[in-house]
Amino acid sequence: MSVDAPAQTLTVALVGNPNTGKSTLFNGLSGIRQKTGNYPGVTVEKKHGTFNHHRQKVNLIDLPGTYSLAPRSPDEMVTVDVLLGRQANEIKPNAVLVIVDASNLERNLYIVSQVKELGLPTIVALNMGDIAADRGITVDAAKLQERLGLPVVVTQANRRGGLEQLRETIISLLEKPATAADSPFPAEFREKVDQLHAQLGKVSPDTPRYLAERLLLDTTGYLEKEMLGGGQDLHNWIVEARQSLAQHGQPIPAIEAISRYKWVQQVLEGVVTREANRRVTLSDRIDKVLTNRIAGTVFFVVIMTLMFQAVFSDLVAGNLMDGIEWIFEQVAGVVDANLADGALKSLLIDGVIAGVGGVLVFLPQICILFFFIAILEDCGYLARAAYLMDRLFSKIGLSGKSFIPLLSSFACAIPGIMAARVIENRRDRLITILVAPLMSCSARMPVYILLTAAFIPDESYLFGLISLQTLVMLSMYILGILAAVGVAFTLRKTILPGETPPFVMELPSYKFPSISGVLSVMVEKAWAFVRRAGTLIFAMTVIVWALSYFPRDEKAAVAPFADEVVQLNADLETANEKEAIAIEERLSEIQNEVDGELLRHSFLGMAGHWIEPAVRPLGWDWRIGSAAIASFPAREVIISTMGVLYNLGGDEDEESQPLRETIKSAKWADTEENVFNIPVALSIMVFFALCAQCAATLAVIKRETNSWRWPIFTFVYMTVLAYVGALVTYQVSALFLLN
Amino acid sequence: MLPEIPLSMVQSGAVVRISQIVGGCDDVKRMAELGLQSGTEVEMLQSGSPCILRVGQSKLCFRQSDILNILVNTDET
Repeated sequence: MSVDAPAQTLTVALVGNPNTGKSTLFNGLSGIRQKTGNYPGVTVEKKHGTFNHHRQKVNLIDLPGTYSLAPRSPDEMVTVDVLLGRQANEIKPNAVLVIVDASNLERNLYIVSQVKELGLPTIVALNMGDIAADRGITVDAAKLQERLGLPVVVTQANRRGGLEQLRETIISLLEKPATAADSPFPAEFREKVDQLHAQLGKVSPDTPRYLAERLLLDTTGYLEKEMLGGGQDLHNWIVEARQSLAQHGQPIPAIEAISRYKWVQQVLEGVVTREANRRVTLSDRIDKVLTNRIAGTVFFVVIMTLMFQAVFSDLVAGNLMDGIEWIFEQVAGVVDANLADGALKSLLIDGVIAGVGGVLVFLPQICILFFFIAILEDCGYLARAAYLMDRLFSKIGLSGKSFIPLLSSFACAIPGIMAARVIENRRDRLITILVAPLMSCSARMPVYILLTAAFIPDESYLFGLISLQTLVMLSMYILGILAAVGVAFTLRKTILPGETPPFVMELPSYKFPSISGVLSVMVEKAWAFVRRAGTLIFAMTVIVWALSYFPRDEKAAVAPFADEVVQLNADLETANEKEAIAIEERLSEIQNEVDGELLRHSFLGMAGHWIEPAVRPLGWDWRIGSAAIASFPAREVIISTMGVLYNLGGDEDEESQPLRETIKSAKWADTEENVFNIPVALSIMVFFALCAQCAATLAVIKRETNSWRWPIFTFVYMTVLAYVGALVTYQVSALFLLN
Repeated sequence: MLPEIPLSMVQSGAVVRISQIVGGCDDVKRMAELGLQSGTEVEMLQSGSPCILRVGQSKLCFRQSDILNILVNTDET
């Protein structure tokens, strides 16, 4: 192509079987220039990327991994619609790049045969040659290219091998016209397709021939409903055509597989050579152990324990968290020293720094969890874990495929819910989405840590191996899991009944995880978390702060103490050291009284008082109630709200004195009775473990299910569950622990 | 020749050949897309539910109920 030629944008769609390294190739081709999204109305992830080669810009569309281009559901339909240029808001691709696994060409060429019929210029990326070699399989790429009549480029996506040549080949496609596809189907069948295509053309002239063919092949009735909307005449025609084909020895359900595999066999004749004896690969040997019922389960438990140990241990996460905390303390110190007392200072220190800092402190734990998940996924272990988990999950009406989304939800429900896209079955996916927010995400950790550290005695058992605090924390995680099991089971039996769908999952070969891939996943998730902290949580903190600060009638609050304060300040000037301490103490007491008064009359305080009758049975005072209300949009807000409610106006001590000490000494109004005790702490923790306090999660549920019904349902059921759980926890534990 | 048995009854380690897949059109086709059709040789790597099968060069997991309809010949092992 000449340099002066006008730049024509080229769009290439990537298709291929799952586990062929398609996404790795997409990442390799597009580098950092990519964005992900969702097709409207369905949960098919769309990934767009671009690259420039010889001044030619190429857009890439990464489509979900699929074994076939036979649409049987809205999700599968999207892939076909994109390829045929029928998807709204998506440019019709100029070319298709099919990624095939060199070690498994027999099956991978099935989809190549379908792509060929679309009539688009097609390139085949022959990937994973290393795994093929490992298994004693050699592929003659030149011969394959000749047989397919399509350019074949040998790639090694995980090592970025062959990418330059692939880019070159993609560009060169611009110059070549698309070749007419040769159908692998017998003549009678092709004739019927042509007739049907002609008939469809009368109704909608631009219907592609491929869809006419699929219409004839799809016996599920999905496509017919989708395309014809129940047109009776064409339906009868199709039924008759199928019958007539069956009479000619071409039964519809079987004809596609027979024809395509026959074609595949012809293509591969002499192209693939393999050793007479199948090699036992390292993957096979590892799998012997890791998928074994006993050894595999033990390994699974060990890996999960190590993972959560790393997430919660002080060694890595703890130190990093201390570091982040320290930074925010320094920032708060600088603000404190340089701003005059007043609304702005209060907003910055008690609102912004406390709120956003209180959330960002959990960044290390999120990073560690996603780092582990990304490694396990990349090396191929998560599929084995899903296999092991299927036995358990099938008992509650889910499949092992729900394991990964639910595991991710321990870090954050949002990526977890999005990960549910790997579940093909709609009902399974919906149930997984609905219970994912019950997994104790990292945003609940601040609540657990604050309250266990403050109220659960620091005792250990079994020679210090098990600490009571750890047990309480752990039990909150288990509570979430048990609740999820119960809810999933109930949903299955009530509003989402149906047969258990077929469970099919491929176990990819083990491979060394790619460091860059793992890190990019971690950074992507961490960044999403930071963005959330910087936007939603920031905004919420400011709102909560404002609600607790206004309407501020300082004069009225100070009035009862005005004379005393004047007197004390006068005394202070003449007082000796001992007297001064006593005076300062009294001054600070007055300040707290004033702050308390201000808070009680703030909007948040009023709301808290208003709901107090509802939260009293949970053992909560109005301030806990206010904090719980404030944390409905994002549960992390509770920390800053507690800080505001119990600490505001807490002078210089505020930074040095941890929140846990303050809430420990909080008293019921006008009494010496502590607000917080073990039953109250437990009831708050249970409430937070079960409640849907996350606007972002509900928004994602709305997006993924494309309906308001499910986020509302999730919110209602989780709030009821949380209230009942907290009520039972308080009442029962109070019986045993309080006199 | 021994009679056909469902694939779900095959023990770990056995290599068998699929003689036919019965059942709904869609199920049969889905199996074909995964590489399972009459004549295909499969190895039962882990029996039970779910089980792990080697089909061609890939390992696939299925639940027992999903492979009841796949009939195999047992005289090849």
